[in-house]
Amino acid sequence: MSSQKKKNFQIEAFKHRVVVDPKYADRTWKILEHAIHEIYNHNASGLSFEELYRNAYNMVLHKFGEKLYSGLVSTMTLHLKQIAASVEASQGSLFLEELNRNWAEHTKALQMIRDILMYMDRTFIPSTRKTPVHELGLNLWRDNIIRASNIQTRLKETLLETVQKERNGEVINRSLMRNIVKMLMDLGPSVYQQDFEKPFLDVSGNFYRGESQQFIECCDCGNYLKKAEKRLNEEIERVSNYLDAQSEVKITNVVEKEMIESQMTRLVHMENSGLVNMIVDDKYDDLGRIYNLFRRVPNGLMLIRDVMNSHIRETGKQLVTDPERVKDPVEFVQRLLDEKAKHDKIVNLAFNSDKTFQNALNSSFEYFINLNVRSPEFISLFVDDKLRRGLKGASEEDVEIILDKVMVLFRYLQEKDVFEKYYKQHLAKRLLSGRSVSEDAERSLILKLKTECGYQFTSKLEGMFTDMKTSHDTMQGFYEAMGRALANGPILSVQVLTTGSWPTQSIPACNLPHEILTVCERFKTYYLGTHNGRRLTWQTNMGSADIKATFSGGKKHELNVSTYQMCVLMLFNNVDQLSYKEIEQAVEIPTVELKRCLQSLACAKGKNVLRKEPMSKDVSENDSFFFNDSFSSKLYKVKIGTVVAQKESEPEKQETRQRVEEDRKPQIEAAIVRIMKARRVLDHNNIVAEVTKQLQSRFLANPIVIKKRIESLIEREFLERDREDRKLYRYLA
Amino acid sequence: MAIQKDRVRFNVGGKIFETTATTLAIAGRDSYFAAMFDDNWDLQPNPAGEYFIDRNPDCFAILLDLLRTGELYVPPNVPERLLYREALFYGLADHVRSAKWGRFDGNRLHLLKSITGRAPGDGTAIRASSEGGCCVAHGSMVHIYDWMLEEHPPINLDYQRVNDAGWVGPVDPNGLVISTCERLGRGQGGMGLFNSTTGELRYKFSVTHENVVKSYTAGALCFNDGYNLFSSCKGRSNEYGIGVWDQNTGQQVDFFYEPPGWSLGDADKLQWLNGSNCLLVATLFPRKDNCYISLLDFRSKSMVWSWSDMWSPANSDDRRVRDAIAMEENGSICVVNEFEDLGFMDLRRDSGSVRWSSRSRIMKGKMPDEPCYPKLALHEGQLFSSMNDCISVFCGSDWVLTSRLKRSFGGSICDFSIGGDRLFALHSEENVFDVWETPPPSIV
Repeated sequence: MSSQKKKNFQIEAFKHRVVVDPKYADRTWKILEHAIHEIYNHNASGLSFEELYRNAYNMVLHKFGEKLYSGLVSTMTLHLKQIAASVEASQGSLFLEELNRNWAEHTKALQMIRDILMYMDRTFIPSTRKTPVHELGLNLWRDNIIRASNIQTRLKETLLETVQKERNGEVINRSLMRNIVKMLMDLGPSVYQQDFEKPFLDVSGNFYRGESQQFIECCDCGNYLKKAEKRLNEEIERVSNYLDAQSEVKITNVVEKEMIESQMTRLVHMENSGLVNMIVDDKYDDLGRIYNLFRRVPNGLMLIRDVMNSHIRETGKQLVTDPERVKDPVEFVQRLLDEKAKHDKIVNLAFNSDKTFQNALNSSFEYFINLNVRSPEFISLFVDDKLRRGLKGASEEDVEIILDKVMVLFRYLQEKDVFEKYYKQHLAKRLLSGRSVSEDAERSLILKLKTECGYQFTSKLEGMFTDMKTSHDTMQGFYEAMGRALANGPILSVQVLTTGSWPTQSIPACNLPHEILTVCERFKTYYLGTHNGRRLTWQTNMGSADIKATFSGGKKHELNVSTYQMCVLMLFNNVDQLSYKEIEQAVEIPTVELKRCLQSLACAKGKNVLRKEPMSKDVSENDSFFFNDSFSSKLYKVKIGTVVAQKESEPEKQETRQRVEEDRKPQIEAAIVRIMKARRVLDHNNIVAEVTKQLQSRFLANPIVIKKRIESLIEREFLERDREDRKLYRYLA
Repeated sequence: MAIQKDRVRFNVGGKIFETTATTLAIAGRDSYFAAMFDDNWDLQPNPAGEYFIDRNPDCFAILLDLLRTGELYVPPNVPERLLYREALFYGLADHVRSAKWGRFDGNRLHLLKSITGRAPGDGTAIRASSEGGCCVAHGSMVHIYDWMLEEHPPINLDYQRVNDAGWVGPVDPNGLVISTCERLGRGQGGMGLFNSTTGELRYKFSVTHENVVKSYTAGALCFNDGYNLFSSCKGRSNEYGIGVWDQNTGQQVDFFYEPPGWSLGDADKLQWLNGSNCLLVATLFPRKDNCYISLLDFRSKSMVWSWSDMWSPANSDDRRVRDAIAMEENGSICVVNEFEDLGFMDLRRDSGSVRWSSRSRIMKGKMPDEPCYPKLALHEGQLFSSMNDCISVFCGSDWVLTSRLKRSFGGSICDFSIGGDRLFALHSEENVFDVWETPPPSIV
């Protein structure tokens, strides 16, 4: 395409132009030029706006726009050169003030010049794509003043010096700074950035690099952080006082990088004052500060989290493996709870309840709590302790709080089924001995477990409560039905326990005393008469009895004993002395239990209703036992506890463990079948992964066990191996 | 000032006007009044309490009334040109323009005037500018009219035939892109950006193929929101396809080469689709082979939708498609055949068939001697179609015919364009164009 235009196409055919007097343009321009001078010299009051506007209009109308524009450029440049000279000549501290005063005057003059040249600005400039008057004025100011060789460096250095003075605590003229900075911004973001912001950031970087070195040598972590925080706030304040708001991020980045990021590791690990010390000493302020400062730098929080994590894991590990601590389960769990409360408080107060910190805390607790295989048992024991006596007199809310805390620990357990097992045992004891402080608290905890682990987890526990209730009703019914027939016999209270819901063991019943046996038989007949198709087995190992005994001098006591103990004591109704063998033959109580029971009757101080020969702490098979006629107690009611280790003994533990493993088998199998039913074909590794995932909420399935279960399922033809790829299993419908 | 602080007295060319500062403030910062009452001037009235302005009092009265009421009433004795000039002096041209005609509505259009061009018979294109002006391309000339319908110096393309023209848009109200035929042997032709007020060429858009600048013929034009300019290009060897340039720098940024058997370089219509980031390319007047309509995605360099009459029976309506327009909101493409039947295609289904609407075909068979094929335009949910000397307006989801714009002389309409709240229609026979606009809103 051609850029050559056919001028003859726009000849006079369209416009008859009057030839303007050539001197007219010069004359008019002189008037306008004079006006511009007068405006710069503050003499504008003598000028006629109407005349000037009209003259400028006429110049454009008569195609002298170019002359007008170039005249404006040169006149304005002339004035700016003069201003530059006067700014340069200003002495020392007056430099900024002189610059500011001239800037104010220039902007005012520029506005007035734009007013009179408005017609040019509106018509001539857009069509010729020239710079509009206002922008032109700013550009000329930038090139002739701000970037003049004698001013540019001086301006930059004066500004930076002033900032440095303020950093050193001197008072500076902030409004002057604000005006100068605003001028740079008015000249365009690039001027502000290039002529001030960039050098400002560089200088600040150097300054803070030096200062951080100096601080880290002489301050402890807490003080260092205080200083860093102060500097950071100062810079933010400086930005709001006289810098462009967009500089805030940049300058705070510099401070963060130099004062925090570069010293981060050293600060956290600082001896005697680092992060671990802060955590140990609960220094919430310092921790809050470290959190807020480190949050600003990349990886800062991660560093804190990692250090905190390894600290918690370390102390936690010590806690759960310390043989001293393991002695007392209640104390043990209480320590865990304290530890949790301490760190929760730190996370909430100092770490802004940061989710990632909460997660880290949880994973650390989960890690070390499961280091000790007895944790599930201990937690259940702790609950048992609380529900038996600990909560006595506590308000409903307090109970809830404690239970909630326990639930938090429960959540950390990987082997929740082990906990369930123990909990069931402990609950059974509580229920059967009527020792539970509050049924509400019991129910509330079960509800919590239910929300946590689902209906299946607690259905048996709930069944236990139902049994208690029905038993109560049954007993009432029994005595109503019997009426007088039983009036003189011992009072029997039978708890009918559903098999499966309770942690019953198939221990053969011992030989009950004749008096009791009669009542029991009557009950049995009554019960089976009202319920069809049921079978009753006596669990004599779980019962208790209140018996009245008369000692020398007619002292009467009511003894609260277990069923076993009762059986033993009833033997002494007729004789005063029995050998171990005789007792064993008479009652047929399992050896361990019998020994334990005799021990509690003969060896416990203040409770020794029997006397043993020879006197010793332990019961052996050659011992003889006598009725201790001289027994005395301040209390009328004497509770003779069984010498039961609260904790399980080593063999018991093994047994529980084994039972847990047994119980897991069907669950693992069920999970495998569920998964295979859905997927039809799956390889070994994926099955293991999915089973583990499914059972996670209850326990951590062992891959070897899973493998065994798979094999067992193959044997029973639920699954088969793929004929071609032996790694694949197929589901057989 | 005398009684009220707000009161202002003017002496305009000897006539006294009184108004208030509040009324004058409506003129805005870029007006004579704002400059005049700038605090820096500390202006004092003459002893009579008046401010003198050496201008025409009649026009001042009209403009003052415009500021007071927001409406423009021009008495018959005041020529419009005079009023425009005065409005420009006071910086009120934009006020006058926006009060002069109302918001565009295809069903309320009135013929403002018809403007006769110079050379009859070969009008190529008319393009409305965003401010209400237009340009008319015929032969190797482009005539420019501003919103006052004042003609500016025409742009002469050195005897290259003009194929299309397009206004750059509000960012550069004076920018006009013109595409022309290539001139063999001289490496000229192609496309350039012109200043519409001065007629000066700012820069040319060149096509580069393997780092060599090639000469080419530029066809249909189209702009998008991202300051890109699209044009169909026909070069010497490989440069067939759609070129893309940055309209601010004039640099070529992309080129969509024509796939084999598919004619892009000959395209008669380009339309940018904002929603789907695609370009509609329609080739409807091929020399020999078939009609093609396709949507191009430049990011993935792929044709995301296409249609051709290649597979249609020889005598079907599909064979006579003469213009196409994509309607993104409806997810369809509207086409028109030479009898002004409208057809629709679903954009969401590829290579679908045309569903012709069952409008009456009264026009069929009444072909004028020198036929002008129908053209389509879409504006704010209204569909426009030109046929012979008449433009039809269709509205609603079923595209019901609601209005007809017709002027009895000038021959059939060869092109029309909507922009700046005006519709311009160019007639082929006498090179006359009509300007249609919506009247200002009623008083109450």
